[in-house]
Amino acid sequence: MLKIPTPNIGKVSILVAILTWLALLFVDITRIFQSVNQMENTLAPEISYILEILFFILVYIFYNHSINKNENIDFLNLIWRGVSTGLLASFITLAINIFYRMLGESKLGSDPLLNNFFYHVNFAFLTLFLVSCSLLWKHLILYQKTKKVVQQWQAFEVLMLMSMFFVFFNGNNLDYSFLFGLVFLTIFSASLSINLKWIPYLTFKEKWKSILFLVIILICTTYLFSGMLSYSDSDITFLNLTDNLFLLGLFAFVFIYTLFSFLVTLFNLPTSSVFEQKLVEAINFQRLSQSIKPGQDESQVLDILIDSSMSASYADGGWLEILDKDQIPQLIQKRFIDEDIRQEIITLFQTIKPFSEFEWTLDDNDARKFYGKIPHNIYKSAFLIPLVVNKKTIGRMYLVKEVRDGFNKEMINIITTFVGQASISVENYRLLNEAIKTERYKEELKIAQRVQRSLLPKELHHNEKFEICGFSVAADEVGGDYYETKNLEEGVFAIIIGDVSGKGTSAAFNMSQMKGIFHSLVQLNPSPGEFLYKANTALSQCLERNHFITTSYFLLDTVQQSIRYSRAGHCPTLFYDHSENKAEYLSADGLGLGIVRNTNYRNYIHESEFSYEKEDVLVLYTDGIIEATNKKGEEFGYNNLKTTLVKYKHLSADKIQKEIINHVYQFVGEGGIPDDDFSIMVIKFNS
Amino acid sequence: MLNIEKQIENESWVLKLTGEIDASNSVELDAAMSQVVENGAKIILIDCSGLEYISSAGLGVFMSYLEEFEENNIKMAIYALKEKVFQVFHILGLDQLITIKHTKEEALEG
Repeated sequence: MLKIPTPNIGKVSILVAILTWLALLFVDITRIFQSVNQMENTLAPEISYILEILFFILVYIFYNHSINKNENIDFLNLIWRGVSTGLLASFITLAINIFYRMLGESKLGSDPLLNNFFYHVNFAFLTLFLVSCSLLWKHLILYQKTKKVVQQWQAFEVLMLMSMFFVFFNGNNLDYSFLFGLVFLTIFSASLSINLKWIPYLTFKEKWKSILFLVIILICTTYLFSGMLSYSDSDITFLNLTDNLFLLGLFAFVFIYTLFSFLVTLFNLPTSSVFEQKLVEAINFQRLSQSIKPGQDESQVLDILIDSSMSASYADGGWLEILDKDQIPQLIQKRFIDEDIRQEIITLFQTIKPFSEFEWTLDDNDARKFYGKIPHNIYKSAFLIPLVVNKKTIGRMYLVKEVRDGFNKEMINIITTFVGQASISVENYRLLNEAIKTERYKEELKIAQRVQRSLLPKELHHNEKFEICGFSVAADEVGGDYYETKNLEEGVFAIIIGDVSGKGTSAAFNMSQMKGIFHSLVQLNPSPGEFLYKANTALSQCLERNHFITTSYFLLDTVQQSIRYSRAGHCPTLFYDHSENKAEYLSADGLGLGIVRNTNYRNYIHESEFSYEKEDVLVLYTDGIIEATNKKGEEFGYNNLKTTLVKYKHLSADKIQKEIINHVYQFVGEGGIPDDDFSIMVIKFNS
Repeated sequence: MLNIEKQIENESWVLKLTGEIDASNSVELDAAMSQVVENGAKIILIDCSGLEYISSAGLGVFMSYLEEFEENNIKMAIYALKEKVFQVFHILGLDQLITIKHTKEEALEG
C-alpha cells in the first residue's frame, strides 16, 4: 500500500500562504497592467478579496500551529516573539519608505507596478505581525483561563472571521456600517484585554523587560498603522487591501491589549515585591512543613524558620533560643545582631512589658505573642514568640526592627503560622527519635529477658528419693521471681524460692542479687535461720529503701526424711500429708528480707522442722499464683491451690505442677494476662 | 485506681485509702505520706476500709517510712483492713512492725 506521509501543517500552510500571496500579487499586477494599458478589466476585485481571506486564514493556521508547538514557552519569550515580528515588519516598511524617498520624483518612484509590489510586501508583513501578535496575546489572555474567558475568546475569533468577509458587503468604504463594525470590535477587544492574570507572576526584573518589549510593540503598531493610513490617504491606483475591517480590528485588538498590559505592568511594578514576598512565604511554609529527613536535625528547621520569619517581617535582627535537656535556654540561631547589643536588648526585655511577662512554664504560651516598643538606641520595636510543642514551651524567637511599630498584624500572623509549622516539624522529629530509642530499649529488654531466663536453673538438683520441677513466668519482659536448688552433701539439698517486691526491671536486678547471695551463702552450709539473717544483712546494703525480698529456705535431708525451713515473709508453703490425706499451709512466723536492716532482724527469724513420708508433696510458689485474678475480680486464692493439689496428689511432680498451672490459667480465663510474676515448684517424695 | 483523702482530726492525720495500690500508683501513696510528714504530723492514721488490694510495691512504701517514724517519734497505725489485705501484711510479717487495728478508736489508743 502506498504510504502517504502526514503533512507538516506548519510547512504546508506557509508554502500555500506564499503561493496565495504570489497569486494575489499576480492578480493585482495584472489588473494594474490592464488599467495602465487601458485594456478591458477582466478581473473582478472579488478574486483579490478571496485570495486575501485565504491568505489571512493560512497565516492564522501557520502561527497557531507554530505557537501551540511551543506550549511551555514563558511570558517574556512570548512577548519577545511579538517584538521580533513587529520589528521585522516595521523595518521592512521603513526600508521601503527610505527606498522611495531615495528614488524621489524619478519615474521609477511613481511606477504603479513597483509601487504595487511593495504595497503587497507591506501588506504581507503587516498581516504576519498582526496575526502572530494576536495569537500570542491569546495565550496570555487564556492564562489561568476560565470557561467564560474561553467562550469570550472563541466569540472574538468568530467575529474576526466574519470581519474578513465584511469586504463583500461594503467594498471597504468607510461608511457607517464599517465604522460600526470597527467600534464593536474595539469594544470587544477592550473587554478581552482585562485578562491580565499573567502579569503578577513576573518578577520585578521580568516586569521591566516586558515593559520595554511592550513599548516596542506599541511603537511598531503605531508606526505600521500610520504607514497603512498613508496608503489609504494617497490616491492609489491599485486595489486597497489594507482598509480591511479584519486588519483594522486586529490593529485595535493588538494595540489595546499591548497598551493595557503595558499600563498594568507599569502600575504593578511597585507592588511586585509584595507578590514575590507572598510567593516566597508560601514556599517557606512548604519547606517548613516537610518533615525533617533522617540524618538532619532540628536546627535545619529552625534555620528556615528564622530566615522566613525575618524576611516576612523585614526584621533587622533576630535570634532563637531552644531549651536544652536541663531546661536552660540555648541560643540556636542568630541573625544580623552583635552579641553585645543582643545582651543589651535581653536586659531590656527583663524590665519592659510585655516582654517581661514571658514565662517558660505557662501552658497557654501557644496563644501568646509579645510585641511592642523597646527603648533602645538602634532597635525600636521587638517581637517575641514562644515555640510550643504539646502545650510545652520548647523555645522562643526574638525579632527586632530599627523602626517603631515595625510589626503589623499580617506579619505577626504569618510568623505565627511559620512558628506553628516549625514546632510541628520539631515535634515530629522528636517523636521519631523517641520511637527509635524505644525500639532500641525493647531490643535491650529482650537481651535482659534472655539473660534473666538463664538465671533460673534449667535442672534442679535432686536424687532418686524425690522428684522436683519448677516453672516461672514474668508479667513483664523480666521478672523478680527466683528459685534454685543446691546439693550440699550426700542426700542433703538446699531449696530456695523468692519473690522480689515490685516487678519489671528493678525487680529483675534485685533477683539477680538474690541469686548471688544464695550462691555465696549456701557454700557455708548455714541453717535456714542463719541463711536468712546473713541474706538480710547483705541485702540491707544493696536494696533500695522501699524494696524487700520474701523468701523461703529449705534444707531437705533425704536420709533423715526431714525438712528444716525458715520463712522470710514468703507465701506459706503448701504441704500434702499422704498419711492423713490432707494438705496444709506451713505457718511459721517470719519477716521479709530488707524490711528491718539491723541486728534486730534476728528476733523475727523462726526455724521449723518436720518429717515427711513417701507420697507426700511439697508445693512452693509465689504470690502471683494466689493473686491471679479472674474477670470478676476474684483471686485464685489459697483454697483453690489446696484443693487442686489434693485432687492431683497421686500424679507425678511435673504433672501436678502442670495441673496447677492449667487451673490458674483456666481460672484467670481466656485472654487473661498474669498481672504479677508467678512461679511454682513441686516436690514429690518417692521414698 | 487509688484515691487518697487527707484530713486532720485532733492533731492526728487521717489518710483514707480507697481502691488498689500497685506498682503504678504506689508513688502517689509515697507522695501523700511524705507530704503528711513534712506538715509535721506526729500521729498518722491510715484508714484502709476502702482498700481492696495492695501489692508488694505498696507494702514497700509503708516499710520505707518505718525507720524514719521511729527516729522522729511519729506514730503510725493502720486500721479497718480487709481480711484479704491484712493477710498480705501478715504473710510478709509487717504486722509485727506496724500497728494494725480494727477500728479508728483502737488505732488512736494504741
